[in-house]
Amino acid sequence: MTTLFQQIANGVVLGAVIGLVALGYTMVYGIIQLINFAHGEVFMVGAYGGLATYTWILPRGMRGHWQITLPASMLGGVVVAVIVAVLMERFAYRPLRNAPRLAPLITALGVSVFLQEAVRLFYPDAKSARPFPAMFVGGGMQLPVPGGQVVLPWIRVALVVIAVALAVALQMYVNRSRMGRAMRATAQDRDTARLMGIDPDRVIVLTFILGAALAGVGGVLYGAYQNTINVDMGFQNGIFAFTAAVLGGIGSLRGAVIGAFVIGLIKTLGGQYLPGGTQYDYVWIFVVLILVLVFRPEGLFGEAEKVRA
Amino acid sequence: MNRITSYLRPGMALPLRLIGSVLVVVGALLPWATFVLNRGAYPAKSTLQYFDLPFAVTGFRLHVLLLGLAALVVTFAPVPGRGRILRGLGWGAVLVSAVNVLFIAYYGGGLGAVTVSEIPAFGGIVGLLGGLAVVAGAHAGGIEEPVHLPTGLPRPAAWAVLLVSYAGLLMMVAWTLTAGGQGGVANPYAGAQFLSFLGFAGGLLAALQGAGVLPWIGRLSEDHRPFSIVVLLGCALALPFTGAGTDYWMTVAANIGIYAATAIGLNVVVGLAGMLDIGYVAFLGIGAFVAANLSGAVAAKVDITLPFPVAAVIAAVVAGMFGSIVGSPTLRVRGDYLAIVTLAFGEIFVRTAQNNIGGLTGGPNAIPGVPPVTIAGTGFNEPITIGGTKLPSGVLYYFMIVLLVGLVMGIFANLKNSRIGRAWIAIREDEDVAKAMGISTGRIKILAFMVGASTAGLSGAVFAHKLGTVSYESFKFLESVTLISAVILGGMGTIPGAVLGASLLFVLPEKLREFSDYRLLLFGLALVLIMRFRPQGLVPDKHRRAELAGEDFEGRPLEESVTEQAHLPPAGAVLPGEARA
Amino acid sequence: MRNQLVKSAAIVAGALLIAACGTNKTETGGGGGGTSCDTSKGTLVVGVVAPLSGSLSALGLGIKNSASLAVDQANEKCTVKGYKLALQAEDDQANPQIGAQAATKLSSDPNVVGVIGTLNSSVAQNVQPVLKAKNIVQISPANTNPTLTRGQNFLTAPKRDFPTYFRVCATDDLQGPFAANYAVGKAGKKKVAIITDGKTYGDGLAAEFQKQLVKQGGSVVAKEKVGEKDTDFSGVIAKVKPSNPEFVYYGGEYPAAGPLSKQMKDAGMNIPLFGGDGIFDDKFIELGGKEGDLATSVGAPTEKLDSAKVFIDAYKAKNYKETYSAYGAFSYDAANALIGSLGKTLGDSGKWGDDQRSKLLENVGSYSATGATGEVKFDQYGDSTNKLMTVYQVTGGKWNPAETGTFS
Repeated sequence: MTTLFQQIANGVVLGAVIGLVALGYTMVYGIIQLINFAHGEVFMVGAYGGLATYTWILPRGMRGHWQITLPASMLGGVVVAVIVAVLMERFAYRPLRNAPRLAPLITALGVSVFLQEAVRLFYPDAKSARPFPAMFVGGGMQLPVPGGQVVLPWIRVALVVIAVALAVALQMYVNRSRMGRAMRATAQDRDTARLMGIDPDRVIVLTFILGAALAGVGGVLYGAYQNTINVDMGFQNGIFAFTAAVLGGIGSLRGAVIGAFVIGLIKTLGGQYLPGGTQYDYVWIFVVLILVLVFRPEGLFGEAEKVRA
Repeated sequence: MNRITSYLRPGMALPLRLIGSVLVVVGALLPWATFVLNRGAYPAKSTLQYFDLPFAVTGFRLHVLLLGLAALVVTFAPVPGRGRILRGLGWGAVLVSAVNVLFIAYYGGGLGAVTVSEIPAFGGIVGLLGGLAVVAGAHAGGIEEPVHLPTGLPRPAAWAVLLVSYAGLLMMVAWTLTAGGQGGVANPYAGAQFLSFLGFAGGLLAALQGAGVLPWIGRLSEDHRPFSIVVLLGCALALPFTGAGTDYWMTVAANIGIYAATAIGLNVVVGLAGMLDIGYVAFLGIGAFVAANLSGAVAAKVDITLPFPVAAVIAAVVAGMFGSIVGSPTLRVRGDYLAIVTLAFGEIFVRTAQNNIGGLTGGPNAIPGVPPVTIAGTGFNEPITIGGTKLPSGVLYYFMIVLLVGLVMGIFANLKNSRIGRAWIAIREDEDVAKAMGISTGRIKILAFMVGASTAGLSGAVFAHKLGTVSYESFKFLESVTLISAVILGGMGTIPGAVLGASLLFVLPEKLREFSDYRLLLFGLALVLIMRFRPQGLVPDKHRRAELAGEDFEGRPLEESVTEQAHLPPAGAVLPGEARA
Repeated sequence: MRNQLVKSAAIVAGALLIAACGTNKTETGGGGGGTSCDTSKGTLVVGVVAPLSGSLSALGLGIKNSASLAVDQANEKCTVKGYKLALQAEDDQANPQIGAQAATKLSSDPNVVGVIGTLNSSVAQNVQPVLKAKNIVQISPANTNPTLTRGQNFLTAPKRDFPTYFRVCATDDLQGPFAANYAVGKAGKKKVAIITDGKTYGDGLAAEFQKQLVKQGGSVVAKEKVGEKDTDFSGVIAKVKPSNPEFVYYGGEYPAAGPLSKQMKDAGMNIPLFGGDGIFDDKFIELGGKEGDLATSVGAPTEKLDSAKVFIDAYKAKNYKETYSAYGAFSYDAANALIGSLGKTLGDSGKWGDDQRSKLLENVGSYSATGATGEVKFDQYGDSTNKLMTVYQVTGGKWNPAETGTFS
C-alpha cells in the first residue's frame, strides 16, 4: 500500500515538472499550430541558465540560503530560457509563418539539435552530466498513509506547489487580462484578431516568452531536485510534455496540466504494476499517446482538430 | 545585395571584370602563406614565391588560376550569358581564396600568415579581391536572362554529349571524394583542400549553369531518358575504377547507398503523400533484425540459414507489415499528430529492441557475426579482380547496392507517375478534395507507409549483411532525423533528390572529420537554414517548388512565368490548397 | 567579334607565359617538432576510434586525450627509433556503421600501426572484422562484453574469433563475480536489488554479478531497468524499496549512478549502492554518491601505484579541455602497450611495413608492463590478465580502497 502511495507521489512530482513544460507546448500550438519540438531544449537551457546564475553570479556567501539561491537561480533560468525562445521565434519560426506546416516542424527539429549541441560544446564541462546544487538541504515531508508513510523531500513539495501556482496564475492571466484575451483571440482566428487591432506578432512573442519562462522555472527546479542536469534532459522530458499536451487536448491549459499528471502517474505506476517493469515504462507512455491520438485525437479536454493538410 | 548592386553602373562593368580577372590570375601566382605553418607546409607550395617548372601551379592555386583565366577569356569572348558566367567564376574565386585565407590565417595564428611576415604573401587577399571585383563587374554589366540552348540534336550527337557529360560528372564525383586525400595525420589540411575544391567546383558549375550548359544537358537527358539512365548507372558502377576506388570510399559509398534507398522509401511517405514520419529508421531496423535472424548468425534466435535474396524478401515483407500497422493510425490522425505517432512507434521500437524482446534483437549485446553475402564462393566483403584491375574489398557490396538503388529509383519513378503516385500527391495537396475526387484515401495512405517500409526493410537486409552486426544503437531517433534531412535537403518528392541528400549527409561528415565536434551543431543549423532559404531542396520537385518557393522549374518567380508555362497553375491556385493556418 | 576572340586568345597565351617563367626557391621543410629524437624514417600513426561528438563525447574525448598523452610521451622518450608517432582520432558517433567507416579509413593508411578503441562494445563488433582483414592491432580501453574476445559461448567454449583484438579492461565476468563475492563474503549482505541502464556494459555486468551472487547464497529481491537518459529515479526506487534489499547493485555509469544514490537516500533508502568501474569516478560523488557506496575497479588502488599518479599528473599538466574520465587510464595503458610493442618490433633499425604487422601482433600478445591501471598483459584470448581488482568505498567524501584481491 505504501508503495502505491509513494508511486503516486512520485508520479505527481514528475507530472509537475512535465506540466511546466507542457504548458509551453500547448500555448504555442494553440496560437500558431506549431509543435515546437525545441521547447524541451528551452527547458534544458533554463536549467543551465539557473546553474550559471548560481555558479557565477550569486556571491558565494549566499549559497547556504535557499530563500535567495532558489529564486535567484529560477530568475536566471527564466531569463536565459526567454532569451533563447525569443531568438528562436524571431529567426527560426517567424520567417516560416506562412510556409507549409512541414517546414516549421522540421525547423523545430533542427533548432532542437542545434541547442543541445550548442550547450554541450560551449557550456563549460557540459559534455557529461553536471552536478546541480541542492538548494534545499535535508529533511522532507512525511505523509502518513495506510500501512506506513510516504517520504517526500521538501524540494519536491516546493516543486509541486510552485508548478501548480504558476499554472493557476497562467490560467488566470490568459482568462482575465487584456493580453490574455488577445492571445485567445489570436488563437481562434489570427486574421480577424489583426483586424480587431491586435498585433499577432506581439502576441506570439508573448506566448513564447510565457512558455519559456515556465520551462525555465521547471528546468531549475528539476535540476534542484535531481542534483544533476545534462544536455539530453530536454529531449526526453520534452517528448513527455508533448505527450501530456496532446493527451490533455492540445491548446487547453488545464488539459496540459492534467495530462502531465496522468503521464507522470503512468510512468511510475506503469513501471510498478505493468508487465515488464520499469524497463517498459516509456513504452506505456507512448502506447497511451498512440491510443489517445487514434481514438480521441482531440484529447481529454480539447476540441476536435480543425481539418488541415 | 540589391543595395550594393545599385551603386554599380554599366560603364564600370568592363574595367571591373578586367581588373578582377587579372587580379585573380596574379593572386594565384603570388605566394599565399608567409611562413611554413606548424602543421607542415601548406599544400600547393603556397609558401613559394615562384616556380621551379613551367606550369608548376598545382592544387587550389591551379584552380584559382583557371578561374581567373576563364574569367579573363569570358570578359572578351562573345559568349551568351556572360554576366551569369562571370558571376559564377567570380564567386568560385572568392570561395577558394576565402577558404584558404581563413585556414592559413587560423593555422598560422593570425592575419600575419596571409599578409607580410617572413615574406610578403598577398596571394589569398589579391585573389579574394579579384574575385569580388569580377562578381561586381558581372552585376554592373547586368545579369542577363537565363540562356536557353536549343536541344534539337541528332541522336548520335546527343548521345555523345551525354556520354561526355556523365563521364565529367563521374570525374567530378571522384575528384570531390579524393580532394585532400584521406586526411588524418598524412595531410592535416585535408578539410581545407576539400572545402576549397568545393568552392572551385561550385564556381565552375555556376558558370556552366550561367552559360546554359547544365540546363541544356538536363533537357537532353530528359529527351533521351532511357539512354541517360543506362549511362548514369554505368557511371555509378565505374566509380570503383577511379581514384575513389579504395576500401574506405567503397564502405562509405555502400552505407550511402543503404541510406539512400531508405530515404527514397521515406520520400514516398513524406515527399509524395505528405505525411511526416519521424520514426522511420525503425523499419530499417526491423529489416536488419529479420535478416540477421535468418542469416545463421550464432547469436540469432532462429536457427535457420536462408540465402540472402530470400532473407531480403522476407525482411521487406515483415517491414512492410509493420509499415501498415504504423500507417493505420493515418486513417484517423493527420498532420502533426501523425508525426508524433510515428515518433512514438520509433521510440517503442528502440526500447523493445534494447530489451531484447523475444530474444530476437540480441538486446544490448546485439547480433554479431552476420555472415557476408556470397556469390559463387566469393564473399562480398573480399577484394576482387576484374580484367586485371584489382578492386578494393567491399566493391561487390557497392555494386549490389548501386543496382538496388537503381532498381528502387526505377520503381518509384514509375510509381510516382502512376495512378497511385498521383493519388499520393493529391492527398498531400488536399486530403478532403482527394477524397471527394474518389480516391480511397485510407488505403492509399497505408499503401504509402507499406511501400516505404518495405523499401527500408530491404535496405535493412543489406545493412545487416554488409555490417555484420545489428544493434539497436544503429536505429535511434537521430538516425530518423538524418533520413528526414536527406529527403528535405535533396528535395521533397524527388527521387534523385533523396539520393543526393543521403550522399551529402554522409560524404560531408566523412570529408570534414576534423570538425567532428561541430557535426551535430552544423547539422541542426543546416536544417533551420534550408527550411528558411531553400525549402524546396537542392533538386526541387516541380509541384513542390511552386508551392514552397513560388518559383517555376527554371527558377523564375511564378507570377511572371505563368503566362508562358501554362501547365503550371498560377500561384494563387496552389497556395490556398495548403491551408495556411 | 573576331577582334574580341583574338584578344582573349592573346590573354590566355600571355597568362600562360607568366605562369611558365620564374626563378627557383625551394620550400623549407616542416616547422614545429623540436624533438631531439631521430625521426628520419617518417611518421607512424596510432589510430583512435571513439565517440568524439554527441552524448558520449565526454568518455570518448577522455580516451582520445589519454592516448594522445601516451603518444606525446613516446615521442619525447624516443620509444620508437627512427619514427615520429602521431595520433589520428576518428569519431564513431557511438554508431556501429560509422565506427566501421572510421576503422576502414584508418586501416587503409599503411602507416597506421594500431587502433585504440572503441568505447561501445556494439561499435567494436563492427570494427573488429575490418581491422582483422588488414591484420591491424586493436586494443580496447573500454569494451567489457566477454563475447568480443571469447566468442558467443564465452563460458563453455571460448573461441577467439579476432586475433587482432585485445583489451586492457576487465570483462564483465570478472568484475561482476568479484563484486558478488565481496558483497556476500566481506560485507555480509545477501539481499540485493539490481538496477541497470540496459546498455551493454551495465546489463552484462549485472548479469554476471547476479550469477555469482546466487551461487554464493545471496538473493536478488528486485531487478529493474532505467532509461538511458533518465535522471528521475523515484519510480524505480519506490518499487524496489518494499523488498527491503540490503544494498543496490547498479550496472551502469556514474552520470546516472550518482543521482540514483542520492535519490535513494532522499527516499529514505539509506543503503549502499554498489557498482563497477563505470561509477568509480570522482564525478560519482560530486553527482550525489553517498557515504558507504561501493565500486569495483581493475588493478590495485591507484594510490599504491606510482604509475597511476604519473599518468594523472602528466594528464593534468597537458591542460586538456576534457577530463580523462572513466576510461582515460585504460586508454593510456592501451596506447602504451601498442607503442611499446611497436618499439620492440622495430628495434633500432627496423622499417615499418605490412610485413611487420604479424610480428607486432605477437609482441602485443606478449607485452607486459605496469601501467596506470596496474599490470598490463594479455592472455591467449586477448583479454587482460590483470585479474587484480579492488573494491572501493566512499568514506569521507572520497573513494578509499576497501579490499584488493583477484577473482579466478
